[in-house]
Amino acid sequence: MGRSLAQVLRDDLGFTGTKVACGEGHCGACTVQLDGVPTLSCITLVHTVGDREVTTIEGLRDHRLIHAFVRTDAVQCGFCTPGQVVSAAALVAANPSPSKDEIQHAMSGNLCRCGTYPKIEEAIRTWQD
Amino acid sequence: MELLRPSSPEEATGALGNGSRALAGGTELVPLIRDGLVKADTLVEIRDVVPRGVTGTRIGAGTTLAELELDGEIPQALREACAQAASPQLRSMGTIGGNLLQATRCWYWRLGFDCWLHGGETCFARDGAQREHAVFGNDKCASAHPSDIAAALLALGATLRTTRREFAVAELYRLPTDDDRNVTTLAPDELILEIELTTPDASTYLKAMDRRKWSFPIVGVAAARFGGETRIALAGVAPIPWLLDSVAILDEATPLPGTGYKVEIARALVRRAIEAI
Ligand SMILES: Cc1cc2nc3c(=O)[nH]c(=O)nc-3n(C[C@H](O)[C@H](O)[C@H](O)COP(=O)(O)OP(=O)(O)OC[C@H]3O[C@@H](n4cnc5c(N)ncnc54)[C@H](O)[C@@H]3O)c2cc1C
Ligand code: SF4
Ligand code: FES
Ligand code: FES
Repeated sequence: MGRSLAQVLRDDLGFTGTKVACGEGHCGACTVQLDGVPTLSCITLVHTVGDREVTTIEGLRDHRLIHAFVRTDAVQCGFCTPGQVVSAAALVAANPSPSKDEIQHAMSGNLCRCGTYPKIEEAIRTWQD
Repeated sequence: MELLRPSSPEEATGALGNGSRALAGGTELVPLIRDGLVKADTLVEIRDVVPRGVTGTRIGAGTTLAELELDGEIPQALREACAQAASPQLRSMGTIGGNLLQATRCWYWRLGFDCWLHGGETCFARDGAQREHAVFGNDKCASAHPSDIAAALLALGATLRTTRREFAVAELYRLPTDDDRNVTTLAPDELILEIELTTPDASTYLKAMDRRKWSFPIVGVAAARFGGETRIALAGVAPIPWLLDSVAILDEATPLPGTGYKVEIARALVRRAIEAI
């Protein structure tokens, strides 16, 4: 089968910030943005990306969300965190002050085995502070 | 593997069949191919040939679930079914056409067991893990159809337009038989192009799941009212989306020992759905 966007990002281009956990669309660890839309790079065939712009966690290095995640202690093992930040960045770009329900709806595709959900919610709620 | 990008439906259907498969969002097909459950030497990317977007009561089969979730004009049952399906990323990638054609989530099937639906002799769920399985139409294969959207379209009485024909959504599905274990009637070289909706007076979709978000339906109930008539369809209760001709039919369910609870959930959700519309 053709190669996935995640494989090409990590193995060919060295953008190892994007993580692969389940590899089958369940967990959201591999989330990147395609033209701003959160997308699962583990099940995206790289040849279908076309001319869409790919944003990985490396491209969000200076985003205020990063500081918010650190400030609120929203990271434990950190494996899910790149995907969480990529999803959150798309959410706050569309909706800078999301409600608790909106955060939970938009972030429900990013699972965290360490269970940092309340802190992630707090980071997103207070990202502009 | 080869990836083709046809520019017309005719070119696409010409390239289908014979070991090639249509690729839309890929959320279902890519994992199935990777796991060896679907064999394909050619993928035909249909993004440029299948309509996308909503025009009046017509929905392009290439419209994503995320687009439908936000569309204030479509019937509520369909909007709610889309909003509660899968996860945000999957809804942004997955199309409504692909959703209707997703395969069962039965773990025996997904893990490649040589079960009846895969062409073998035995339904392993019958004596095995069966909590997620069916309560209707389950004498051969007890799998539960996972599409929330199909149940909504069934209740809404939607029709499909393909590259060959127009027909009711109900006719897309068939219970698998010993001779033919397919659960859909779509030909290998046939593409779904559009879905034509009806406009009910009111409709809703209620879903019982293991978590409040991002979970396949244990039971999904779609209900649509047209004047004095109410149509009800269920997800997660049979190998195909299940139209409930009357509420009394719930008494005729044939649950496995581990799925009886689904009948009770269905009863409660059907009552609430009817009250809501
Ligand atoms: C982890 C996970 C959780 C999910 N949870 C839910 C849920 O809770 N509820 C729910 O309803 N769904 C759920 N889904 C299903 C999801 O919505 C579908 O996978 C998605 O909509 C499929 O669309 P796609 O465009 O990605 O299809 P693809 O993967 O590209 O294609 C799926 C199949 O349809 C065929 N196909 C696609 N489009 C057409 C067309 N226009 N004409 C003919 N054939 C076509 C393909 O050849 C393939 O066989 C889940 C999926 C995953 C992976
Ligand atoms: S329920 Fe259907 S898919 Fe699952 S093991 Fe039985 S025959 Fe196979
Ligand atoms: S690694 Fe892609 S969804 Fe889990
Ligand atoms: S911080 Fe460990 S998985 Fe989320």
